[in-house]
Amino acid sequence: MGSRWTVARVLALAPDAGSVRAAKGLANPRTWSDLGSTESLLWGKCQGSARAPYQVTVDLTEPAFRCTCPSRKTPCKHGLALLLLWAAADGSVADMRTAEPFAAEWAQARRKPARGGEADPQARARRIAERESLMSAGIDDVELWLHDLVRQGLAAARHQPASFWETAAARLVDAQLPGLADRVRALGGEILARADWAPHLLGELGRCYLAVCAWRRRADLDEATLGDLRTVLGWARRRDEIGDRVADRWHVVGRSQEQDERLLSQRTWLSGESTGETVVLLDFAAAGQALQVSHVLGSVVDGEVARYPGGPPRRALLAGDGHAVTEGAGLPQATDVRTALGRAATWLAGNPWLRRVPLALAGMTVVPGDPALLVDGDGAALPLAPGADLWQLLALSGGHPVGVFGEWIDQRLHPLTLQVDDRLVAV
Amino acid sequence: MTTWDDLLGTALVGTGRRPFRAADLAIAGAERIEAGSPEAAVLAAAALADGYRRAGWAPPIRRGTRPRPADPDDRPECSPAAAQLLELLLGRAIGLENGAEPLIADWLRLCRAARQRPPMATLPALLRTGTTTAALRPLVKQVAGPRGTWLAARNPAWRWATTVPPEAVDEVFTTGTRAERLALLDDLRRTDPGRARELVGRTWHEEQAATRAAFLDALHTGLSDADEALLERALDDRASTVRAAAVALLDRLPGSARAQRMARRALRLRNPDGTFALPGEPDRAARRDGVTGATEPGHGRGASRLIQVLTGTPLSTWDPADIPGAGPEVLAGWTRAALRQRDATWLTALARHRPGPELLAALAPADAAAVLDDQHRYDARFGALLAAAPGPWPAAFSTRIVQRLRDRKADAVVRLAARALAEHLHPSALAALEEWLLDPGQDRAATRRTLRGIAHALTIRATILQEFT
Repeated sequence: MGSRWTVARVLALAPDAGSVRAAKGLANPRTWSDLGSTESLLWGKCQGSARAPYQVTVDLTEPAFRCTCPSRKTPCKHGLALLLLWAAADGSVADMRTAEPFAAEWAQARRKPARGGEADPQARARRIAERESLMSAGIDDVELWLHDLVRQGLAAARHQPASFWETAAARLVDAQLPGLADRVRALGGEILARADWAPHLLGELGRCYLAVCAWRRRADLDEATLGDLRTVLGWARRRDEIGDRVADRWHVVGRSQEQDERLLSQRTWLSGESTGETVVLLDFAAAGQALQVSHVLGSVVDGEVARYPGGPPRRALLAGDGHAVTEGAGLPQATDVRTALGRAATWLAGNPWLRRVPLALAGMTVVPGDPALLVDGDGAALPLAPGADLWQLLALSGGHPVGVFGEWIDQRLHPLTLQVDDRLVAV
Repeated sequence: MTTWDDLLGTALVGTGRRPFRAADLAIAGAERIEAGSPEAAVLAAAALADGYRRAGWAPPIRRGTRPRPADPDDRPECSPAAAQLLELLLGRAIGLENGAEPLIADWLRLCRAARQRPPMATLPALLRTGTTTAALRPLVKQVAGPRGTWLAARNPAWRWATTVPPEAVDEVFTTGTRAERLALLDDLRRTDPGRARELVGRTWHEEQAATRAAFLDALHTGLSDADEALLERALDDRASTVRAAAVALLDRLPGSARAQRMARRALRLRNPDGTFALPGEPDRAARRDGVTGATEPGHGRGASRLIQVLTGTPLSTWDPADIPGAGPEVLAGWTRAALRQRDATWLTALARHRPGPELLAALAPADAAAVLDDQHRYDARFGALLAAAPGPWPAAFSTRIVQRLRDRKADAVVRLAARALAEHLHPSALAALEEWLLDPGQDRAATRRTLRGIAHALTIRATILQEFT
């Protein structure tokens, strides 16, 4: 997600107190449709008193507002409410690649007279400086919070109510640290759900602290480490900053989708045939809408990807056009467990915040049990995640050794793909 | 205590209660931690130590033999479109008025006939469906093939779909639960009925009465004259439930000695004019053969005894030409005899004389269709007959029956037999159904809804049929 504003910053734009009250009442996803945002634009349709919904667009660079409602205030309550929804960063306003036509047309019409390149570089530098100081304050806050937790003991932390973690996460969102906020929010559930909650919590807090230290020394970090740090903090790169291209025949080896009530997100794992590199594509869509991109499991995309800065496995985008898509035959670079974990160890050494480790494994036998295991030819056993569909895996493999692609998270394998003969099957 | 446990212990109680120095940690790099406070030291040490823990995680090595893999299945996989249909049906993604089960059964039957197999990925959903819908189990088990049997052996809920390997039969029968033993018998009766009989005989005298009766019931499958000796002995059993089970089975064996004894009794009751006298109090031998004091619904004691005697008598003793002149108790006896002896000639003759749902259900589809063609009153009884007629209905009959129901505006019959129409109509009757739906004279909303449901099911069945031919 891009750099979203704080609620305070949004409300500072309000022409009067009445607008604030009205906007807060309207800042509810139920009254809105066609919500979305890009780096510079934010739009949505709000059902008001008129029959047709008002079309609301905000140019975030200035900011400038446009709304089809009859109000003379600028911004009107609809524009403010839209900004509030967006600032909440709760997924109701998804990041999109392209704007809705009504928003894009208005933005284009506005830009035309003042062409002269992209946004003002000075304004941009100012915005970045603003964000960095906000984040630095948030980082100081996190450090104090972490110190308090460790001083009072993790055993005490376990008895905190859910609101304890929610509040901490909300503060992190306000400080423009949504990546850390996600981790803290997840912790609240995990310490109740997991049998190994204590070592898990300690490890996670350690990694949060590592992010604190790394942020303070960000000037000394190399490009890859800085990229990983920005990912863990949740400061996404702009698409036009992504330029590190590499060409290969990219096999689509795994896909997973996650859907919450507001956002559909998809990870697509690609494996390069000659480079041996594994990259991941991330796509998002608002709930109820279709993803714009959908890659067929088992197909091969011949062309370039642009990689985000960071350690391997890196996030990437399909770059350029004219990607030829052909049919693949199986999992490239599948290895035994020892080799795959060795590769994972190298990645973890480079990026201590890495959570989802892609593993391509060959010759794995599914062994039911508690937990169920995937066992390679040497007997090395990986426990399956509790949510994995064991019966599906057994039905597809029939007890024979098969190739498996999955995500290795906290010493549990979440299988995504099974190789049956030469075919890749999603599980 | 490991370094990590030590660190974790400190973190759990808190640095407020236990001091901590990162430099004391026995891990590489700990000496380089710069921390201004014990809290910072614990957090930095945690980041370092957990990094080692995660990157250095070593998989446990599992030794010992792997479970035996599934046997190969040489049947070709069904077409992708057929697979998708099955997934939709199993996932209940298609809304159907009469439920998805009849269509799943249709799919499985056609798949079996085409000697194809479903995609492996659908097996768990198929087995789950068989678990909730027992009527589908034999079909599911056959179509799921060796992979399905292998998979079912791994889940206790799917025990019904497993096959006991020959070498384990003795052990399962000796040590299994009653349900397991009955499932084993049922299985064996399909492939090796003699072996099942031998197993039942082996422990016969040690079993409880309820188990003995259940074992006899299991012999229904694959029943033959070879089972007679066992059943004859069971007529002397202490428990009345076991004796009744034996009688019900012997009724199905017109070639048995007991059938001959019943025939002699029946012939003694026959009057010169073809009518029957009602038998008196049964003697000991008659009671042993199943002529009991129990009364049949709607009949007196004497008539009930006559029905029991006729049920046990081979139908070859009589002439179907006598059916029209027979009294109600004689008809009842002959009907039950025909149903138990599965005598097609008598079943057809009886159904033509006085059609009933039970008789019709026992006929071959074409014979049942012929009987229905002769019925011309579109009342509730006709609806019940139509609902009972076994499928698949012949194509010509299917179109004809839709036409007849439409011409006679037999809406009530349509609703009574909706499930059978959806299940058994030949897909070629779809055109006639759709014409009916378009008929402006057809204006009753309830009938339209029923017809649409039938047409919907028929469309899907036509697609399934197409995918397997």
